[in-house]
Parts: sequence; structure tokens; C-alpha cells
Amino acid sequence: MKKMITAGQYLILATASLILLFPVIYAILVSLQSASESVSYPPVFIPAQLNWQSYVKAMQTAPIFRFIFNSFVVSVIVTVGQLITASLAAYAFSFLTFPGRNAIFYVFLSTMMIPWEVTIIPNYFTIRELNWLDTYQGLAVPFLASAFGTFLLRQAFMTLPRELYDAARIDGCGHFRFFLTMVLPLSRPALGTLAVYSFLMTYNQYLWPLLVTNKDTMRTVQIGLAMLQWDQAAAWNSIMAGVILVCLPAALLLIVGQKQLVRGMTAGAVKG
Amino acid sequence: MNWKKALCLVVLVLFVVGAVGCGGGEKPKTDEKKPIKVVFWYSVGGKVSESTKVLVDRFNASQKDIFVEAIFQGSYDDAINKLKQSIVSKAAPHVMQVYDIGSRFMIDSKAVVPVQKWVDADKIDLKTFEPNLLAYYTVDNKLYSMPFNTSTPILYYNANMFKEAGLDPAKPPKTFDEVVAAARKLTVKDAAGKVTRPGITIAIYGWFFEQLLAVQNAFYANNENGRSGMATATAFNSPEGEKILSWWQGMVKEGIAGNIGRKTADTQKAFIGGQTAMTIDSTGVLGDIVTGVGGKFEVGTAFLPRPEGAKGGVIIGGGSLWMLAGHPDAEEKAAWTFIKFMSDAKQQAYWHINTGYFPVTMKAYEDADLKKHHEKYPQFKVAVDQLHSTPITKATQGALLGVFTQSRQEIENAIEQVLNNQATPKEALTKTAAIVDAALTRYNQTAK
Repeated sequence: MKKMITAGQYLILATASLILLFPVIYAILVSLQSASESVSYPPVFIPAQLNWQSYVKAMQTAPIFRFIFNSFVVSVIVTVGQLITASLAAYAFSFLTFPGRNAIFYVFLSTMMIPWEVTIIPNYFTIRELNWLDTYQGLAVPFLASAFGTFLLRQAFMTLPRELYDAARIDGCGHFRFFLTMVLPLSRPALGTLAVYSFLMTYNQYLWPLLVTNKDTMRTVQIGLAMLQWDQAAAWNSIMAGVILVCLPAALLLIVGQKQLVRGMTAGAVKG
Repeated sequence: MNWKKALCLVVLVLFVVGAVGCGGGEKPKTDEKKPIKVVFWYSVGGKVSESTKVLVDRFNASQKDIFVEAIFQGSYDDAINKLKQSIVSKAAPHVMQVYDIGSRFMIDSKAVVPVQKWVDADKIDLKTFEPNLLAYYTVDNKLYSMPFNTSTPILYYNANMFKEAGLDPAKPPKTFDEVVAAARKLTVKDAAGKVTRPGITIAIYGWFFEQLLAVQNAFYANNENGRSGMATATAFNSPEGEKILSWWQGMVKEGIAGNIGRKTADTQKAFIGGQTAMTIDSTGVLGDIVTGVGGKFEVGTAFLPRPEGAKGGVIIGGGSLWMLAGHPDAEEKAAWTFIKFMSDAKQQAYWHINTGYFPVTMKAYEDADLKKHHEKYPQFKVAVDQLHSTPITKATQGALLGVFTQSRQEIENAIEQVLNNQATPKEALTKTAAIVDAALTRYNQTAK
């Protein structure tokens, strides 16, 4: 009986994961199809023969690997930067008491209401004045701090018991030590969430990299994907090949970092 | 479980190493004389961008004095947005590919050098160039930009389905009425009377509406399409405009025309997959359609259908090469040399064969490779014939409108509403005209 239940559970889980993974699987299959298979009706799922040509084609049309590398560098810088700035600011907003703390926090939050598009032009001029066009710092610096990240982490820090803070203070623990050895480890899930979020947001940027770069050697992945498209007709197989290549590093990073995330979540869930 | 993690890490590292390796191969140039650098922004991706890059490489290899750096700038709209910033910060490129309907904006930006300046200086004989292409980019008797990627729409049909339905594939429909009659015969219904394969499917694309106006010699905007003076209002809310929408709506209502949205790539897919017998699409995708079909059926091409007795023709669409002002004379001259090279017969023959866009110069038609290509794809002849049989009038020159991008979208909304029976053609066009006119008035105030 127990076996039956387990088998049933596996069946349901397998079906569900298949449904969730379908777009990815289909993208991989299309990327391996020939041009005529990718546009035929009824749609072909399994290619008659593996057509690696579309990958070669995608790499010829756009220097995908270079773009992936650039996106990767920029995303890592932004992720690390946001974690540092957001966690420090969030600490101040949740553990320090100073006059006008809430007011400042609301001003902070209100910047989330300003659409990014409004600031894009002034930002562009700043970057140009600094002579940072076509550089990694030009791509990354405007995103090193975010109100959203601060908000997210502040909410996480607020859930830590105040007693912990008091106990640490009584034992003579300074702010910085408390921050590093208590707050950060206990907030791993929130930090992980913010890291994944900011990494993917940066990885998927299009308009900003397009504006501040002018060289193929400094461009990022989303521009590479745009390079594979032509508005009048779409070569779906090579576009999908490009998409798969671009997805790989992010997916791999997620697999590597997943343990960290899950462990963090369970550690926070059980009191101990 | 750790080996999995290790494997992932190894692949990640490989990616990074691969990327660094790829990036390392920068051009180590040790020329004693530094070549003049010309920056060229281009906007069309996919297979077209490959041909663009090949031509640029050819130019760089052909001589030593000028080096052209070709940079992809996203879609036409992205590129124009980027240009707006670059003009202000004096970082505009030397040469830029801009789409047809961006012409008015480019002229109004006052940041361009009309190509005519160099045509005159170089004493270029424009007689060997395709007159219909030049006509579009000629404003106030000045050739503003050099046509580069140009196409027109044609009717594509599935010749095998024609035979099955008892139609003669050698006599494709020419008029609106003939299209309706043919579509009726080509439509396949199942036992319950449900349409399983419509006779014709046309993407909801504003460009097609513009074309169907031009074949009736009707204007899209006032002041003769904005050609005899700045357009101050639209003119598409006319009996001709209504005729297009009623024709289209009638076919969709009857079930003999399919409607699968705005993306031409989708209707293309339907046509290639044999889900519809006819479609309207750009000549630029002929090669893709023929290879996509892969011999499963015979692809026929015909002139864009028109109402009985209409005397107009098609407007060219696509993009052209613009020269931007604000560069030293030597650089401007280098940019012109590059443009001249790109419009040469040999390059244009290559361009036509590989992209399906029309050659700018008639001399390209004498190229041996191009002749062979036309023998292989006789469908191209229809496209060329249609272009050559188009009379050059203010209607077929195409409209100049500062807010063309928006106007095209609004027209698409109008078509959508009509096809979904939410509005009559008259109502939809009246509403659209009001929206576009208001936007145009705002644009004209700022462009002065």
C-alpha cells in the first residue's frame, strides 16, 4: 500500500514537473530542428535528426559566449553590490534607532515608485560625463543600490527577535559583529532571494546595455538575442539555440546555489 | 551528489574560459597610417545582419584607408531612441540604417547630411538606380538617404491547393473580388461546417493597409502624403480606406479569411504549414517561405490584389542608409565612400540573393549569380515586375509623417476592431484619424 502511494506521488510529481519544464524542453527540441521542421504544421516535436547547425548559426550571427561572459560579470557585480548596500541599509533601518528613521525609510521606499525609464536619460548623461560608456562600471554602477532590496531585507531583519540583539549587546557585541555573525547568517533565505532576483534582473537587461555600449565586446546577452531576430521572418531554430545558450549559465548557477537557498529556508523554519 | 555540483562548476568555468578566449581575439592593427574610422549602426538582425556584416567586411578588405565599424543597435525603434541621445551628446554615428517611416523624423532632426550633397559632388549618375526606390527617399527634390534594404508586399499562394480547388495556378486572383471568389473555393470545412482551413490569412500589419491604399492611388496623409508640404492631418479616413477594411472584414465574417493576429511571422508559419491557401507578405521573406516549404508544395506569387480598376502601385518598405552630420569632412567623405560601395552592383547582387531585398541599382540585374538565382526562384520575377510596373506618384512614393510609428499601431488597432466586429470600418477609421491627427499636431509643433 505504501509503495502504491509513493508510486502515485512520483507519478503526480513527474507529470507536474513535465508540465513546468515543457517550454524548456520544447525550446531545446526546436533548437535541434531543421529550419523547415521548426515552421511545419502540425508542429514537429522530435527532430528527424539532430541539427547542431542552428547553434553554429547562432554563434556566427552573434558572439554569444562573449555576451554571456559580459552579462555574467555585470550580474555578479550588481548582485554582490546590492547585497552589501541593501543589507547594511536594512540593518540601520531595523536595529539602529535614530531620529526620523521611519521618515527616511518611507522616502527610501517612495523611490520605488519612480519608474526606471524616467531616470534612464539622466543616468546616461552621468555615465557619459564619467567616460564610462563601453565599460563594466558603466553597466553595473547605476544598479548597485536598490530600494526594493533594502525593503526586502529590512522586513527579514525585523523578524529576528529583539532579545537576540539585546543579549548580544549585553555580552559586549558591537553592531558590526552582530551584523556579520548573527543577522546575516540568520537571514540567508532573504539574502538568497535577493541575490537570485537581482542576478536575473541584471542578466535580462536590454535597454540600458544597449544605450551605454557600442562595441560587440561589451554587449550583453539580451542584445545578442535581439541580433538573432529579424522582424519579417523568424528562424526559430537558431533563436532557440541562442536562448538555450543564454539560459545555461543562469540555470547552472541556480543548481549550484540551490542547496544554499533550501538549507537557508529550512534553517529559518525550525526553531533551534 | 557532489559530483553533480562539480560538473556544473566545470561547465560554468568552461563558459567563462570560452568567453575570454573569444573576446581575446581583438584586431591587433599595426598600420603605419591610421585608417579613418566610420561608425555604422545597423538594425536588422537574423540572416540579414549576416549579409550586412559580410558586405562591411568586404569593404574593409577592399581598401586600407577607411575602417568601418558596424554596430548592431537593436530594433529600428531602439536605434532611433539611441540616436536621439547621441545627437544631444554629439556621439552620433557616421552612417545609420533607419526604417522607411523614420524618414520624416530624420529630416526634422536636422542632424543629417542629405546624400544628394555627395551625389552631386561625386557626379553620380542616378539613372542607373531603381527610380521607385529613389522616389521614396527623395524629399524636396533632394535624395536624403541611400535605399538599402527594400521590399514590397506580394500575394503568396499555394499552387497545389489552387489545383485541388479547380483554380488555375497560372491565373492568380488580381482584384479584391477575385480574391474573395478564390478564397471561397479554397476554404475547407469539416462535416459540421466548421472552417478547418481558411482560403486566405493576412497578418494585421499596418504596412499592408498603407500598401492597399497606394494601389488605389489614395493618400495616407494630406498635402499629398506630406510630399508637397508638411503633412498636417491624415487622409486615410476615406472611401478607399473603408474599402480595404470592408473587404477584409467581409472575408473574415464569411469565414473564408483567417485572423491569427499581428505577427507576420505567424501567418507565414500558417502558410508554410499549409493551414491557409493564400497570404500577403513582404518580398523579403520569399526565400524563407520557399525554403520553409521545402518542396512540399509549389509556392506561387502574384501582384498585391487591388479593387477593380485601381491604378496605383506599391510603396517600397524597408530601410535606407542615412549620413549623420557633425563629423569632419574627411570622415564624411569616408562615410560616403562606404555608402557608395554598398550600393554598387556587385554588392547589391549579393545582397539581393542572400536577403531577398531589391537591388538598389539596375546594373545588379546583369550579374551572373543573380540571374542564376532568378532562374532557381522564378517567383522573384513577380516582385521585380510589380515594382517596375508601379507608376511613381505621390501616393506610391509613400507618406511622410512624423508620427508614423504610432499611426501604424493605431491602424492595426482599427483593423483589429473591425475584424472583431467591434466597429464598422467608418467608425474605426474616424476614431483612428482623430488620435493620429492629434499626435501629429503635437509633433509638428515641436518639430519647427
